[in-house]
Amino acid sequence: MLKLENIKKSYDGTTVLDGINLDIQDGEIVSILGPSGCGKTTLLNLILGITEADSGKIIYNGEDMTNIPMEKRGFNIVFQDYALFPNLNVYKNITYGLKNKPDISTKEEVEDLIDLLGLREHLTKKIEQLSGGQKQRVALARTMVMKPKILLLDEPLSALDGVIKESIKDRIKTIAKEYHLTTIIVTHDPEEALTLSDRVMIVNEGKIAQFGNPDEIIHKPSGEFVEKFILNQLRIKRNNIFTLFGDKKNTTEGKEVRVS
Amino acid sequence: MAKRKNVEIKIIYGVIFLIFLAFLIVPFLRLLNQAFFGEGSFTIQYFKDVIQGVGFLDALKNSLMVSIWSALITTILAFLLAYTIYYTNVPGPWKKIIHGVASLPMLLPTITYGFAIIYSFGKQGLLTRLFGIDVYMYGFPGLTLGYVIYTIPTAFMLIYNTMGYMDKKFSVVSKLMGDHAAASFHIAVLRPLLGTLATAFIQSFFLSFTDFGIPDSVGGKVDTIAGILYEEMLGSIPDFNRGAVIALVMLLPSIISIVVLKWLERYNIRYNKISAVELEKNYVRDGIFMVISGCIMLGILSIFAVIFVVPFVEEWPYRLGFTLDHFTSVLQDPNLLSVFTNSLFVAFCVAVVGVLMSYGAALITARSTLNEKLKSVIEAIALVINTIPGMVLGIAFLLTFSGTSLQGTFLILIVCDVVHYFSTPYLMVKNSLSKMNASWETTAMLMGDSWIKTIIRVVTPNAFSTLLEVFSYYFVNAMVTISAVIFIAGAYTMVITTKIKELQYYNRFNEVFVLSLFILVVNIIAKYLFQWLAKRTSRDSK
Repeated sequence: MLKLENIKKSYDGTTVLDGINLDIQDGEIVSILGPSGCGKTTLLNLILGITEADSGKIIYNGEDMTNIPMEKRGFNIVFQDYALFPNLNVYKNITYGLKNKPDISTKEEVEDLIDLLGLREHLTKKIEQLSGGQKQRVALARTMVMKPKILLLDEPLSALDGVIKESIKDRIKTIAKEYHLTTIIVTHDPEEALTLSDRVMIVNEGKIAQFGNPDEIIHKPSGEFVEKFILNQLRIKRNNIFTLFGDKKNTTEGKEVRVS
Repeated sequence: MAKRKNVEIKIIYGVIFLIFLAFLIVPFLRLLNQAFFGEGSFTIQYFKDVIQGVGFLDALKNSLMVSIWSALITTILAFLLAYTIYYTNVPGPWKKIIHGVASLPMLLPTITYGFAIIYSFGKQGLLTRLFGIDVYMYGFPGLTLGYVIYTIPTAFMLIYNTMGYMDKKFSVVSKLMGDHAAASFHIAVLRPLLGTLATAFIQSFFLSFTDFGIPDSVGGKVDTIAGILYEEMLGSIPDFNRGAVIALVMLLPSIISIVVLKWLERYNIRYNKISAVELEKNYVRDGIFMVISGCIMLGILSIFAVIFVVPFVEEWPYRLGFTLDHFTSVLQDPNLLSVFTNSLFVAFCVAVVGVLMSYGAALITARSTLNEKLKSVIEAIALVINTIPGMVLGIAFLLTFSGTSLQGTFLILIVCDVVHYFSTPYLMVKNSLSKMNASWETTAMLMGDSWIKTIIRVVTPNAFSTLLEVFSYYFVNAMVTISAVIFIAGAYTMVITTKIKELQYYNRFNEVFVLSLFILVVNIIAKYLFQWLAKRTSRDSK
């Protein structure tokens, strides 16, 4: 279980995060959702260990991680731009960490990951030959080989287009369930957050606006911000789609969703 | 955590800083001290002496005039060459030849061009004999021609690079809007290029103004600032105080040039998208530019021709039979041969140390989280070095290290060259490192790499082609430089260029040209070898 206690962070006198408290259960997928500049990336960096908090504690399974360096925490991240190494091919990128920790994953485990993420046919390719979705999967595999205790994903879908987005979503879910892996995703897209995760944490101006499962957020929004910026956005999207399909009945509450 | 991570970076920073402290800052302070302090107290007497001295102001005026004129000519010629490549349909191989010939002078020391000019145009010169051209080249004509040849590669590369990034569609748009040829040329070519043309002019001026080799060989009776500076330091009656003052005077236009260059940077136009447009067929235009570029190249090559002729004939200009005697005599002279191996050794060491220094410095500024103030110290050093002419650096070294155990060692030569040429390689590496993905170090660290391992496994392979370019840049420049090393090469650490200066004293020009050919051949091999390697590695990683 990951626990954040009263985390505070400011840069040059501007408070970015203030009084952040949260619990994340093992194997849970949690999204951190909020507009740009709300502090969500800072929160991710704090958990990962790139940034140090001004005050507060980060506790994992009862152990205080606050002052433990990034590389010793055992968490891992897939960056938004993937940060794949262009001088190495796909397979060498995936097995990069094995050079340092040969025993962390067995040969079979690596092979399983390659198949699970559908990368078998790309193994000898150069990074620049890959599409966005393929790069994302390689980065995911490379991180998974390290068997992270917590998987952090920074805007994992924002660089991808339509159909690929949905398929990567599925892969992330599959991985989290298969490996019972705590996964924390940073995103600015409400649809993404609510359809991908078990629980969503909405951050606004450095504070948690609401932390609950998708159902709670949709039906019991905690306040004006969630109502106005999160739910409203989803309603507009829904209406646009209904309009596209010529079904104008469901413009208000939308209990009877019928898309044919 | 962040503190521990930076240990390696801090060590690199410390080493680089100490090198610059000992070999740039201290020598420079020593130079200031020499110019302003006499018998323990501050004085401007040396300044007065120099300015009122016979011929000083004339020399300064000569240097300024001839440098400005040659910079102007160079800029125009370099523009014409680059224009022929980008805006005409002359055949592809012709464009390649232009590119090759325009960068050729880089591969030879300036002192050699001077002698080549004399041997081409003098009373018994090659061109005089072939075509009956008899021009008196000592003094202004020779200086101008020498400087133009010397600075053409720099000016050409600057203009050529900017033209490559100019959107050729603008010419089409301008013509569609009904512009006439002149207006179209102005809006689509001249205007976007203005900043670069000014930069090329200033760079050429700076190089000419501070060069030592050309005035030394063809200056004749015309005094230049470089000439009197050399006289004050190593002439018959050395006066280090006056020398230091002249060195500072030489520094002044350099500083002004760099300030103007910095200011000009804002005029650089960057197009978002570069589209190549097929140029319209125009045989007249192509023909004209083929002739123009041909003449310019012929001009450059004809000066070089003499270097290939003189060492192969028995006794220029009296006995013209073919012979390899001059080569065999150089190869059998252990003294000359050791000068050759010294040069190779120094150039190689300079390249290795130079790559390490510029790579280390660029890692700090482009890929570390070190304090911005510490980073800006490195930036400032790189900028300052750009303003310091080789001669000034050499004199500062002479003043600082004479009498120490460093005097007359290879170490001092190597460090001097590394410091002297630091700016360009540093910027090349920094540019290439800052384009790389910012998350690599974090990612690799999460995979269990230490910082140094990440640098070896990820960053270095991706920067490799740039590092090769830097290696070649340092190597070639170390082979041809004379301005700084002339003051610090010792009896046992002579390199080819300083030896040429000595051979000039004894009128042994056959050896001068043989040694120059050695430099040329080594540099051509080095340049193409590293170009080929860099191309191969960058293709491999793609």
